[in-house]
Amino acid sequence: MPRIPLGQIIEGAINFFVTNFSFLTIAFTRVMERVIAFLENTLMLLPPWLFILMAAGLVFWLTRKRGLSIFTLAGLMLIWNMQLWAATISTITLVLIATLTALLIGIPIGIVAALSTRVNRAVQPILDVMQTMPAFVYLIPAIPFFGLGKVAAIFATVIFSMPPAIRLTCLGIQQVPKDLVECADAFGSTKWQKLLKLQLPMATPTIMAGVNQTVMLALSMVVIAAMIGARGLGGEVWRAIQRLQMGSGFEAGIGIVIVAIILDRVLQHLGANKH
Amino acid sequence: MKKQTALTILASVLVLTLSGTGMAFAQKKVRLAYVEWDCAAASTHVVKAVLQEKMGYNVEILPVAAAAMWQAVATGNVDGMVTGWLPATHADYYNSFQNRIEDLGPIVGGAKLGWAVPSYVTIDSIEEINEHAAKFKNRIVGIDPGAGLMRLSEQAMKDYKLNRLQLVEGSGATMTAALSTAIRRNEWVVVTAWSPHWMFGTWDLKYLDDPRGSLGEEEFIHTIVRKGLKKDMPEVYNLLNNFAWEDPNQLQMVMAWDQQPNSDRYENAKRFIAENEEQVNGWIR
Repeated sequence: MPRIPLGQIIEGAINFFVTNFSFLTIAFTRVMERVIAFLENTLMLLPPWLFILMAAGLVFWLTRKRGLSIFTLAGLMLIWNMQLWAATISTITLVLIATLTALLIGIPIGIVAALSTRVNRAVQPILDVMQTMPAFVYLIPAIPFFGLGKVAAIFATVIFSMPPAIRLTCLGIQQVPKDLVECADAFGSTKWQKLLKLQLPMATPTIMAGVNQTVMLALSMVVIAAMIGARGLGGEVWRAIQRLQMGSGFEAGIGIVIVAIILDRVLQHLGANKH
Repeated sequence: MKKQTALTILASVLVLTLSGTGMAFAQKKVRLAYVEWDCAAASTHVVKAVLQEKMGYNVEILPVAAAAMWQAVATGNVDGMVTGWLPATHADYYNSFQNRIEDLGPIVGGAKLGWAVPSYVTIDSIEEINEHAAKFKNRIVGIDPGAGLMRLSEQAMKDYKLNRLQLVEGSGATMTAALSTAIRRNEWVVVTAWSPHWMFGTWDLKYLDDPRGSLGEEEFIHTIVRKGLKKDMPEVYNLLNNFAWEDPNQLQMVMAWDQQPNSDRYENAKRFIAENEEQVNGWIR
């Protein structure tokens, strides 16, 4: 049986894109690198204790939960104490940019997919590929486009973490009760009115669950991203496991967990609140 | 729509100005990739220190995975690396990228691949493994499947007809973890190993004889640079071309410094430069 040259076709396609479009992506990378460095430097300007106090205050203001703000305070102090402050700031910056990008692309796609069955049918298999393809498979080909470092890591993280934002936005809108939609139609509301005044508000808790998952998936990518030079907390873990320094590996891992818990609880609260 | 066009224009202006300044900055900046192995880290930090302390360059070093390191040199994203294990370990990477890189030759020889056991294990040759398969729990602890060492180990499994054992895939970290556990329990274990590696400094290990030569001959660590480096940065090219350890022991020495608790690799590299002025000046000439 003749072997289908799938691998060769994909490699040819990648090479084609590298020769013809990589100048664009490389220029984009240059800009992004500056943006990331600027964000990191700005966050690093604050003394850690001030940052920690502000974060705890912000968490309290957003959630009104005393326990969570105390956890934020203590958790971030622990990170500072483990001398992982700079790495944590770097990871938070990376996760923030990746998540925002994923949401800015993902939520609109989710809305369109909810309103059009044809788009939905086309999008689903792509989402399956994005979620299950082992990240390392596209990390290495991403290097000619985005170089080593944070931008390639963000690219990979966006691909990996976007599907839940799309899926849950789509699901949330589809789950809006039929009679309500018919009611809106009966009152002669336009498509936009229907979307903005009825479907999106009703779907908000589900969409926020998607946002939450996107953030969590982005955080779970930080170690893989470190394999192409993203550094940060993931870099500390990656280095420690390569050198069998289990203690420092766990320290950096705990740092990731602390950041994850804070973000998760705050986002969950926001999602539940809006309802 | 209008907003979008405005954003596009703004973005393109940003790209142009920033890539312009990027070029100006790039003049004195060198980027090197390496893998977080002790030998690679030691060599890379010494090169970094020479470029910064003696030649006034600004050097960024990036710890990455081996595949990413080769890919980055091939695409010119980094200027070079001093971690190319040839002819066997990185043979796959070398073959796929050889037209897009420049090989500046070895920085040190005497590197070795093989199967290692704790010295309390009473056999001395791979040929004896099969009889003691049960004591080794029917497994040979390997590393990541992509490594050349694993390809050679699979060959060795066939050459020595080790049908009672399995070569277990994992990573460098899981291999050293398995080794550490076995040594703590005084159990028999055989791992796929290479030196220089810190495990030989940490535990009392020995290589098993390989009479059939399945695991390859002596390995060399090469300097690999991107195409065009000679033209863009002749001074850096010259240094990378000349950089070499006198012998494996010299590299092992710096690796041992790096193993000291709380030691700083960059400080150790500076110490090496201070203690070996003549050799270092020879690289720069």
